[in-house]
Amino acid sequence: MRTRLQQLIACVGVILVVAACGGGPAGTSAGPAGPPQQGGSLTTLVTSGFAGSWPSGLDPATNTTGGANLSHMNAIFSGLFKLVADDDGGNARVEPELASGYEFEDGGKTVKVSIREGIEFSDGTPFDAEAVAFNWERAVDSSCTCAPRWPLVEEGGITVEGNTVVLKFTQPYAAVINSMVVSNANWIASPTALEKMGEEKFKMKPVGAGPFKVVSNRLSSELRLTRNENYHKQGRPYLDELIIKSVGGDQPAYQAVLAGQAQVFEGMVTTPLIDQAQGNPQVTVTPQPPTSPYVIQLNTKKAPFDEQKAREAIYYATDVEAIRKGLFGNRYPAAQTFTGPGGMFHDDTVPGYRTYDPEKARQLVKELGGLTVHLGTIKQYVAEQINTALQSQWEEVGIKTTIDSHELNSLIGNFNSGEWEAMLQTAGAWDPAAGVGVGFRFDSEAPFSGVADPELDTLLDDAAATIEPQERDELYAEAGKLISDKAYAPFILAFAPTNIAAEGVHGPGVTTKIPPVLVNTGIQWDEVWMSQ
Amino acid sequence: MTTTEPVTDDAREAAPGAVARLVHSPSVRLIARRLVAAVPIVLGVSILTFIVLSLIPGDAAQLLLGPEATPEQIAAMHRQMGLDQPPVQRYLGWLGGALTGDLGNSLVSGQPVTGELGSRLAVTGELVGLAFVLSLGLAIPVALLAAYKPNRLFDRVSMLVSITGLAVANYVIALLLVLVFAVQFAFFPAIGFVPIGQGIGENLRSMLLPAVSIAFPLFCFYTRFLRGDLVDQLRGEDYIVTARAKGIGPGQVLLRHAFRNSSFGLLTVVGLNLGTLIGATVIIEQIFALPGIGQLLLQAINTRDFVVVQACVVVFAVVAVLANLVTDLLYAVLDPRIRYGNR
Repeated sequence: MRTRLQQLIACVGVILVVAACGGGPAGTSAGPAGPPQQGGSLTTLVTSGFAGSWPSGLDPATNTTGGANLSHMNAIFSGLFKLVADDDGGNARVEPELASGYEFEDGGKTVKVSIREGIEFSDGTPFDAEAVAFNWERAVDSSCTCAPRWPLVEEGGITVEGNTVVLKFTQPYAAVINSMVVSNANWIASPTALEKMGEEKFKMKPVGAGPFKVVSNRLSSELRLTRNENYHKQGRPYLDELIIKSVGGDQPAYQAVLAGQAQVFEGMVTTPLIDQAQGNPQVTVTPQPPTSPYVIQLNTKKAPFDEQKAREAIYYATDVEAIRKGLFGNRYPAAQTFTGPGGMFHDDTVPGYRTYDPEKARQLVKELGGLTVHLGTIKQYVAEQINTALQSQWEEVGIKTTIDSHELNSLIGNFNSGEWEAMLQTAGAWDPAAGVGVGFRFDSEAPFSGVADPELDTLLDDAAATIEPQERDELYAEAGKLISDKAYAPFILAFAPTNIAAEGVHGPGVTTKIPPVLVNTGIQWDEVWMSQ
Repeated sequence: MTTTEPVTDDAREAAPGAVARLVHSPSVRLIARRLVAAVPIVLGVSILTFIVLSLIPGDAAQLLLGPEATPEQIAAMHRQMGLDQPPVQRYLGWLGGALTGDLGNSLVSGQPVTGELGSRLAVTGELVGLAFVLSLGLAIPVALLAAYKPNRLFDRVSMLVSITGLAVANYVIALLLVLVFAVQFAFFPAIGFVPIGQGIGENLRSMLLPAVSIAFPLFCFYTRFLRGDLVDQLRGEDYIVTARAKGIGPGQVLLRHAFRNSSFGLLTVVGLNLGTLIGATVIIEQIFALPGIGQLLLQAINTRDFVVVQACVVVFAVVAVLANLVTDLLYAVLDPRIRYGNR
């Protein structure tokens, strides 16, 4: 989430940089990798409004912003599983990392996660199934919303068999492994260090089995890490030191990379600045494959959107192409369903999807005897831009529209009150069943859903429980078609942030594409290297 | 070092007299009075801050737990944070701790606020101090030169620069400075802070652009203010005419007579500008990634970490009160006729 201050700085900065810097050769992209080189200190910048905020510390059991702090957590803890992809972001898949594999039994009601042998935490204590089970029990018992929401059986939900941890569920949960990479349960802390240090100290200087160890941690400001000599991969990490620094916005971050004070900037979202960076040969610009599209949620539980005609009018009044071109220079693809092109089970189009047709929209508004809509969103640069555009488009066809944007608290209050009419939000994830996935926006029971449709609930539940990918794909396609047919929520475009790297920096997620698990990409810091 | 000289009887007799003189000195009495008066001010600020923070929408527990939190989880977090207690009890608990130097623990991180503030105060203090030195150090000579020959080239150029500086927000200046001096010429770092322990040169290099970003608008304001006041003094005041009639040269009249009187106004403005400076540090520390109080305050506001916000505001209030006290003392230094102690 970006603050107004950051938006202001970004806007002013874009003007300044565009005015001051001439364009270099256009279309800078990932350079040749070459043989990786050992050594060096790398500073990566993260914006203070999102990934650069870790106010509750870095203990996996209590870090409420873990989903945003992927770089911090992956560098310290690595992960039982990781999301990898080909360099172009294609063929994305979850692979075991500190785990050695997994196995479903009992039709998906049991999953056995085997742990890689011979691994140690950075404090020299063994990383084994006991440690994983200890962490998972601690996570499940945590009051933190970062706690995994596994449908565990009451007794013996988490058990250890040799160097394997067994999870038993009350119902099939096939998405558990894909969900792991968006869950704090993926990060395993050293039980010995935790006991020795106590929770308050541990959250400041956590100990894991990742490629780096914590040297110092100033919350939401700077995390300084050094190479973990106990890391399980021979010769990794390449870097001697990794510094994660929080910075006030895209513009200062970009300038810091140009000035050589940082080598990587994760999560640039300001479109004109991305354009500017792409014309600059000093940096490598890597737009990440989008996974979570923007969607206009319509509250079908109350007027005016309890009537399908009103919902259809919104579909026909929304000119997605104009928004894509006018606001974002065709940078982000249009979406018709809840997964972006970088995600699993993506479909570019949905049969029968209603696209822009102002005449039909006008006709429907006339039939309804007028339509007045209040459209909200969260305070965020991209979302607010889209909302402003939507307001003018809807007004064009006679829909009286007011817009506003909320801080998170106020947004939640709006959803909880049930009084909202329309909200621009993001929906989905790399795996639609993972994290803040499609159910979050469309399930009847979810507090942030405007839809109450048992047929859709069944489709989404079945898709999350099914192991066979082809079957899942079909179920999600059916769910997407149902959302479209009933005109529950028009999708806009699939957005993902861009990573910027200084010349000579290479690595997966930095100069290659990995789909964002939720919002940002999980960079594989053990593989990142710098030309010396 | 210790003295080996014997203490004489005269010295013994003189000591109580010296203490008495010190106690009855107008300046000491002023300091004592103002410090006593500062107590209700700081207390008032803390109460007001607490009330405002209690009234504004937003909940640290909700923000911390995220949108998926259940009411039970939020209630549990409220208990853990102590937010389930009545506001008066919470305030008194905080005040009791603050009086012993314990500003409480952050609602979000659980870490002690006093230690965090201490380390960050040094960064913000250096930033503000450097900005003051730069702005005043440049504004005074420029204003004197401009007032020496008003409406000539130097005066007009300085006016143009000042008006430009006043019209441009400090974050724009900051981004421009980074673009020129960090990106293009690499004279200074674009972000980051080097502690003074790692070398004063590197420390100053890391602080110069942020300090100039804050100092430049202040320099422009002080220059225009002082120049205008000096020109008024030089044009119309009797004491200037008298000085000139005595044959004192224009330079001496400007420096020893007009400037001395004009510095009162400047001093008042500088004292009042402290609030602006605090606001500026919040923005500038964000842009330059400086680990100061401004950055901490913004983070705390975003996470509704009321304990940290409260502590930051109280620290700022104490600094403002002390700055006003120093300003009042400087009045006495500048004008010996002022006898605060006799008021």
